[in-house]
Amino acid sequence: MSKSTTSIASKEDGLLQQDRSIVGPDDRILVTGAAGFIGSRVLQNLLDRGLRNVVCFVRPSSELSEIEAIIERRPPDARIEVRKGNLLSREDCEAAAKDAAVIYHLAAGTGEKSFPDAFLNSVVATRNLIEASLRFGNLRRFVLVSSFAVYSNRDKPNGRILDESCPIEEHPELRGEAYCFAKVRQEQLVSEYGKNSGVPFVLVRPGSVYGKKGDITGRVGIAAFGPFLHLGGSNKIPFTHVDNCADAIVLAGLVKGIDGEAFNVVDDNLPSSRQFLRLYKKNARKFRSIYVPHAISYALCYLWEKYSKWSQGQLPPVFNRRRWHTEWKKTRYSNKKLKAKLGWTPKVSTSEGMRRYIETCKPDGRYA
Amino acid sequence: MLRVAIVGCGKIADSHALQIQRIEGCEIVAVCDREPLMAKQLYERFPVKQYFTDLAELLDRARPDVVHITTPAESHFDIAKFCLEHDCHVYVEKPFTLYAEQAERLVDLAERKRVKLTVGHNDQFSHVARRMRALVQSGYLGGAPVHMESYYTYDLGDPSYARALLGDENHWVRRLPGKLLQNVISHGIARIAEFIPSDSPQVIAHGFVSSLLKQIDEREIVDELRVIISEEQGTTAYFTFSSQMKPPMHLLRLYGPKNGLILDQDHEILLRLRGQKFKSYADMFIPPALFAKQHLGNLFTNVRLFLGRDFHMDSGMKYLIESFYRSIRDDSPVPIPYREILLTARIMDAIFSQMSSDRSHERFAALPQPVPSE
Repeated sequence: MSKSTTSIASKEDGLLQQDRSIVGPDDRILVTGAAGFIGSRVLQNLLDRGLRNVVCFVRPSSELSEIEAIIERRPPDARIEVRKGNLLSREDCEAAAKDAAVIYHLAAGTGEKSFPDAFLNSVVATRNLIEASLRFGNLRRFVLVSSFAVYSNRDKPNGRILDESCPIEEHPELRGEAYCFAKVRQEQLVSEYGKNSGVPFVLVRPGSVYGKKGDITGRVGIAAFGPFLHLGGSNKIPFTHVDNCADAIVLAGLVKGIDGEAFNVVDDNLPSSRQFLRLYKKNARKFRSIYVPHAISYALCYLWEKYSKWSQGQLPPVFNRRRWHTEWKKTRYSNKKLKAKLGWTPKVSTSEGMRRYIETCKPDGRYA
Repeated sequence: MLRVAIVGCGKIADSHALQIQRIEGCEIVAVCDREPLMAKQLYERFPVKQYFTDLAELLDRARPDVVHITTPAESHFDIAKFCLEHDCHVYVEKPFTLYAEQAERLVDLAERKRVKLTVGHNDQFSHVARRMRALVQSGYLGGAPVHMESYYTYDLGDPSYARALLGDENHWVRRLPGKLLQNVISHGIARIAEFIPSDSPQVIAHGFVSSLLKQIDEREIVDELRVIISEEQGTTAYFTFSSQMKPPMHLLRLYGPKNGLILDQDHEILLRLRGQKFKSYADMFIPPALFAKQHLGNLFTNVRLFLGRDFHMDSGMKYLIESFYRSIRDDSPVPIPYREILLTARIMDAIFSQMSSDRSHERFAALPQPVPSE
């Protein structure tokens, strides 16, 4: 690094020099959903890279202990503003987006089961935020944190690579998942603002983000019917450790020359569903699981879908072939684009990430 | 073909659209929401012909026969009034209005305009509720109910609603006169109103903030309510609303001079309570066997309904909508008598008036309060 170049660098590695970055250390950065699992890591990553002017937008009901801990140990010259509000309020959005050079939009819909709730808290909230930022004319990058859920993954043979070139779900309303519908429409909205209003945006699509105690991802299996049904089998699970994911998100907001691009976020050396489950059951908690081969899970999804239609929704269409293709079809994943264009590398190896994760899952008896 | 419109495209509008599309002889000609994105998303996901952001424009261009109002409660009165004035039949989601006086004005307007009006008390039309009503009408109780107990619990842990409510000081539910209670208790009160013979019962309400909410510094939301309702002819009722009671229940106990009935909405169970005792030890052996038989009967009924594709979660809503549409087509009586809608509104008014803002929200008790009749 030349002496004359200011750098926005992560502590560990991955120097991001000023000539590669669209912002300087004092530019205002807004992070929505900053109190969340990923949001707090994004905040920490921004500070580690030397950004000194960060606004954290959180819900009034958010648990702030993680943010407060970060504020406590922040560099002396860093300013962190915690702003409570609701993205459905245009006034709150304006106050938050004022003079923001980069917006990291992580806040997500809370009504996972309800289509209107998920849509309202994702799409309408995003529209409000973008509209607010347009009033100030200072926005250099809008980073939307989306999801793998937007991909259709159909019309591809088993085992093919899912990357950024793969098609998005054309009819997300038929997937039976409010979250998928909201995320697809949210991406479309942001793309339209990019096209029609010149909003410089980047889409970040993390796979299964792990790192704290929570339900086992549905890509491995489900426990909705009593015993844990293991559906993943030999499928690779697109895990990304929360720190690696936060790193990718932060880079997507800083690196020059990537406007309009989408990036999948998955780590290297992904475990198979079977490997993960074995590790989990051996080290975190023992429980009974029943393996359901892919042909059978496909047939069950097909039957559920047909029954749901025949019975006019007596069972909601939450299991269907579209979902099967996305979650349980044998697929490989790539992070080549992320590495090539953002210079991202996973700082937490999968083996180390899994070790830490399993530790967090140990204390009590729930499927973590 | 009955032309239907839905105003308000939030969560409950989905249930309406789902049930309406299952009913023959009707079509959703338009949906409306002030937020264009919300109107569009409902339009995209259901067979809907048009979407609007302006109600007047919808009424003018889509020309609906029936309007379903699924907006937040504070707007029910104005929207319903506007639709009635435009000669539309109106289905208003619960709670019907904010005040009984508004409910009376809507009923009066509907009668003057010769259009129909109903409220979304769909729990009254679940399979089990209809079976209970048929038994009561057949005289099973042996006369008018002597006493009723209506239980209605609400899980504040539900992330999709309660967290948003508790975390948002500007949530629309907080602006309702009865706050959380107003948005939730009408189903449980309506069950009682159906069987209260008088139009002016006395209401004693006692409400408080649960210890759980106090722990998180919530002082405004009353989430525990106990009500005693009594009337001159001797029928009495207890109403219990709780966010803390377990197991969760939506239950009505109905006691007549001869027999009783228990309606368990959550499990779709109806139990007959035999008034006569068996002799000696037989009273300890025969009734358990008879209850077991009744439980088996409920199980078989539920399985039969499920196999017959008639056991949807919102089956009560479909039945209510279907009955309402039939009353429009045939000009027959509406499925929920206006008296029952008004009495429910008056009892709720009486409850909320005992929670006036100049008292502590944490704890209050009130003197008996007669419900004013028309």
